[in-house]
Amino acid sequence: MSNDPFVAGEDEWVPVNPRLATGRRLVSMSLVALVTILVVAILTVGGYPEYGFVALLLGVATALWLWWLIGRQVRAIGYVERADDLLVVSGILFRRLVLVPYGRMQLVDVRRGPLERYLGLATVQLHTAAATTDATIPGLPPEVAGRLRDQLAALGEQRSAGL
Amino acid sequence: MTPPRRTHPVTPLVTGVRAAPVLIIGVFVIGDGAATDVIGGLGTGAMIVLILVGVGLYAYIAWTRLEFFYDDDGDLRITSGLLVRNERRVQLSRLQSVDVTQPLLARLFGLAELRPDVAGTSAEGTTLRYLSLSDAEQLRAELLARASGLRDEPDAVAQTAPEQVLVQVPSPHLLASLILQPITVFLILLIPAVVAFAGVAGVWELGLSGIFLVFAPVTVVGGQFLKYFGFTVAQSSDGLRLRFGLTSHRSQTVPPGRVQAVRIERPLMWKPWGWVRVVVNVAGTAGGGDSEERPSVVLPVAPLPVARAVLQRVLPGVDPFAVALAPASPAARWRAPLQHKQLGAGATSSVFVTRRGWLVPQWDIVPHARTQSVRVVQGPWQRWLGVASVHVDSTPGPVSIVALHQQTDAAREMADAQARRAGLARRLGGPGQAESGSIEPVELHPAPLGLQQPPERSES
Repeated sequence: MSNDPFVAGEDEWVPVNPRLATGRRLVSMSLVALVTILVVAILTVGGYPEYGFVALLLGVATALWLWWLIGRQVRAIGYVERADDLLVVSGILFRRLVLVPYGRMQLVDVRRGPLERYLGLATVQLHTAAATTDATIPGLPPEVAGRLRDQLAALGEQRSAGL
Repeated sequence: MTPPRRTHPVTPLVTGVRAAPVLIIGVFVIGDGAATDVIGGLGTGAMIVLILVGVGLYAYIAWTRLEFFYDDDGDLRITSGLLVRNERRVQLSRLQSVDVTQPLLARLFGLAELRPDVAGTSAEGTTLRYLSLSDAEQLRAELLARASGLRDEPDAVAQTAPEQVLVQVPSPHLLASLILQPITVFLILLIPAVVAFAGVAGVWELGLSGIFLVFAPVTVVGGQFLKYFGFTVAQSSDGLRLRFGLTSHRSQTVPPGRVQAVRIERPLMWKPWGWVRVVVNVAGTAGGGDSEERPSVVLPVAPLPVARAVLQRVLPGVDPFAVALAPASPAARWRAPLQHKQLGAGATSSVFVTRRGWLVPQWDIVPHARTQSVRVVQGPWQRWLGVASVHVDSTPGPVSIVALHQQTDAAREMADAQARRAGLARRLGGPGQAESGSIEPVELHPAPLGLQQPPERSES
């Protein structure tokens, strides 16, 4: 991975907590299970149990693939606090690297949804004056998220000069 | 606190006329069944009269209840409301710009509405409608003068800031430029294509629809022609002032140092005349709700030298065409076969410039000091080709800056460099830092700049 230009040059990419994968798997697995059960039930009741079996296999295959994909996706997320900016990298198929100079940050959000609270995780989102910035770091332990927010806010304050 | 003032006395009439048709139509829709017999018809008639009286009364009382004045802090306050009293404060220290517009109806009465644009508030509650045009201009000058801290001597500065007309876009040029846009040309070419297809296939009904296809380009060109009719760019002490519109007249101000990004576009068919269009992102209220009201088109069409002169006013010292642009990766031809030769990106000490577009080649310019964030993105197909695109994020607006399909490692380097430049520019207080106040004098071509007659333009 070191010769990949997206992550090259920084040694200390901070990964996010693997519990994020657990959470995302929980959500997508329940969805896949729900749809599969529904389809299988309809096909079986409708008199096509053999197609129902195929649907079941497809559902299981989708679940396995998603299980694997989510693991990779979560491992692909990382961030680095550099001297002057914050870097966030994410994505496997569609890859993205966001660089936000500290002086441009207007707002740092920490969000915790019900599932995130259950898993003991939080999401940090950086806002600049641009709507397209979209620098989000999911899957952080709350104390890390809180520390990051305070630190980023302080750095932002220090370097900002309005719009 | 200054004595409260009211909007123009004709206001209730205009608001009433504006609201009445909708309500009357509503009566017809609701009372549709009842109106079939004579008594029902009388009922509907009475209802309409009743509604007209009610609307008129409401509009009148609403007018008496709307007052505006300056409070002890020197900010503008607007109180309104019949039952629930609203009091809105326009914090003049956060005033971005003041727009004076004349919607069609108001224009018939010689009235205008005034909209102070303040960061972080919606325009709806603070729009003053309606004032006479001269009052609106006066109030605008007053607000801008107070915003720049001249509150103690409001009378001395209450005249409209003197302005110097830079450019006036002649209507024939505007019309020609709109007809020569790719979208219009496409819509026009569509007509014979459809008619020919109908002739070959023998579907004469389809051929008839060609008549209706004529409306499409007429609507597109007509709408924009009315919108940008009589476009005037003037320089005043509170910024670049834009005035345009035939049916609905607009007056917008681009305050100095508020321009976040600039796009210069040159549709392929404008090339023989050397025309370009200039579009900007201006920082203003958050959210897209009233983005329509914020200045975006600074120059709908003008010869390049004129556009350059105007560009000097919004981004002093920037010449995007002199910037050495790094072309996209050769592999880009497989991702963007039409425009890959146009693609390029580069930076000077003060701005980042990208070029793209096939039918409409465009140059996007963002000062380092206005760079909000930088993104490198790569889809699967791009990854296979070993290219990635670098987005430089600006505030919401029509201009977006993206260096498409650079070699992946070059893209990463470009992003790092741009993030570094953005940080540096901000710390040193780079160009365009002036939040308000004086404009740097800029060397300009002999003013006022009229448009040059384009070489042998065919009258069509």
